[in-house]
Amino acid sequence: MILTPLNAVLLGVVLLLVVGFYGLLITRNLIKIVLVLQILVKAVVIALVLGGKASGNLGLGQSLAATVIVADTVVAVVALALAVQVRRRVGTLDLAKLSSLRG
Amino acid sequence: MAAILIGFVIGLPWLGAIVLWRTRDENPRLQHTMAVAFSIAAGVASLALIPFASAETAISVPMGRYFGDLTFTADGLTVTLTAIACVIGSLAVVFSVEYMHGEQQLRRYYSFVLLFIGAMTGLLLSGNLLFMFFFWEITALCSYALISFYNDDPKAVAGGIKALIITQVGGVGLLAGALTTYASLGSYQVSDLLAKAGTIPVGLLTVIAFGFLLAAAAKSAQFPFHTWLPDAMEAPTPISALIHAATMVNAGVYLLARFYPAFKSVPAWTMSVMVIGLLSALISAISALIATDLKRTLAYSTVSQLGYMVYAIGAGGVFASQFHLLSHAVFKALLFLAAGSVIHSVGTRDMRRMGGLGGKMPFVRNVFIIGALALAGVPILNGFWSKELILEVGLEDSPFWAYALMLFGAGLTAFYTFRMVWLVFFGPERDHLHVHSAGSAMKVSLGILAAGTFITWLLFGGLNGLLSSTLPFHELEHETLLEMITAISSAPATWLALLVVALGVGISWVRARGFQLFGGGWLSPLVETSFGFDSLNRIIAEGVSKLAGQLSLTQTGVLSWNVVGILGAFLAVLIFLVWSV
Repeated sequence: MILTPLNAVLLGVVLLLVVGFYGLLITRNLIKIVLVLQILVKAVVIALVLGGKASGNLGLGQSLAATVIVADTVVAVVALALAVQVRRRVGTLDLAKLSSLRG
Repeated sequence: MAAILIGFVIGLPWLGAIVLWRTRDENPRLQHTMAVAFSIAAGVASLALIPFASAETAISVPMGRYFGDLTFTADGLTVTLTAIACVIGSLAVVFSVEYMHGEQQLRRYYSFVLLFIGAMTGLLLSGNLLFMFFFWEITALCSYALISFYNDDPKAVAGGIKALIITQVGGVGLLAGALTTYASLGSYQVSDLLAKAGTIPVGLLTVIAFGFLLAAAAKSAQFPFHTWLPDAMEAPTPISALIHAATMVNAGVYLLARFYPAFKSVPAWTMSVMVIGLLSALISAISALIATDLKRTLAYSTVSQLGYMVYAIGAGGVFASQFHLLSHAVFKALLFLAAGSVIHSVGTRDMRRMGGLGGKMPFVRNVFIIGALALAGVPILNGFWSKELILEVGLEDSPFWAYALMLFGAGLTAFYTFRMVWLVFFGPERDHLHVHSAGSAMKVSLGILAAGTFITWLLFGGLNGLLSSTLPFHELEHETLLEMITAISSAPATWLALLVVALGVGISWVRARGFQLFGGGWLSPLVETSFGFDSLNRIIAEGVSKLAGQLSLTQTGVLSWNVVGILGAFLAVLIFLVWSV
């Protein structure tokens, strides 16, 4: 594989995805999970711009990326607020402990 | 104009449902009045729609590429059934004013009744298969909610859930048929399916035809789905009259009649339709012979009469089936409402405890006998003409054994109908029940329906003209009332059928003298389990629930495992893509 600029960015996207998924697999802290999800979303944003560039429709890719950034910021804020509430009410942020509270 | 009326017919009941949902149960008088006003307005609009019947699309709303246009067509078939649904709907609501007097939660009751009427007319008028499915499911939902109306009674809740599950199975058939139509024609329009059915490959057309047959059988409680209708009798009686006799169960027959021209060339389809109708008619007629619950007996007879209509469609008599549908809707609504006033007044549905009620409620006895005569097929009542028409079609266009069995079924019908009449209204008083006569709201509904039982067969010529001029694909022959009367009264088949009916009535009279009407002998265990189909239902339901229990192991709710699942699926897709390149 020749390292064209496009390929280099693609490699970056894949690396970010790998980091994100690995993080999701091993993380148990709720706030860290929000952070890891942010890493995954950043990979997606870059992939959107990359896809726009590759298909010759850069404007579309950029506008989709901007939309995702806005939407995702809201999601992150709500998720963090929920995490704070969980900590206050349950007293822990550990996912394993939280899921044992089910039922 | 047609477009505005269609808007009224669907919109008024739904508007009524929303308004009634907002009312409060402290004011039942207001609730009764509003429900009656909205349903009668819809009934008037549906009658006004009849002169505007045409094969053209009346309303077309674009809904984007994937849903097709939302179209409404008011042709002869739909305006007739819409009028039946709205008029009998308003009579049932008028009847409810007295029947449901003093009940709790009228808000829920009337909202669902009106929602049902609107959905039923929508289902009939819709010219788009996807939206037809949408309305189809709403009617099933309303049926469930109303069967389980007395939700503190476990039997009512179980009956509602059974009806919901079985009609959902049918709904899957309708959806599969609609999606297959879209896949092969690129359109959901009913008119496209009828016009271009010949261009669909036979294999796909078979899928559509049998999918629709599955839907129709489940909705109309036909074999092998005939088990839900008798259990649905836990509903308040006006609901049984409206939904489970006069309208919703007709949707299946309507579906078959509507698409008959498209499917008649599919191998084995007409034969399957005929056999399903035949089996339903016979099995439920036999069940009705020994049932002791008044409403269950009527439910069995409904399944049996629907079987006659389905059989007629299988034999090619689309018009005969629709004519019987009209007659049946009127006389069966009459029978159910009359049974409702009996039940309302004596407080039990068990015919073994009734008897000798005729002298105490003469009006109800008289209208019930009118309905019973029509159901048995005794001349000049509407049931006679339409049943003879079906038997005539059967004699001409179906195998002789099928005709002979249907004729036997007509005899059984006469027998169980008069067994029911003797048990409820005649003979000695078996139990000292406190009886109070029917009130004016009940009498109005019953009187109108009894008059209808005498005269709706006079609409033959008009109905025939309406259907033959607005259904371009059905190739119906035009026949006037007079021609029909001469044809039926001069046919030897008619006299044979009358003989069988007279035999049925005679035997029931003889047996009524001997008081041997309760014992079912070896039949009882068969009927109590719906000829084994109840246990089949249970096996399927339990199997599905067990499978779901086992599959729930895969739903751990643990994030790490979910991520593993996502990654695994992602890898599988990636490997598949690489492989296929």
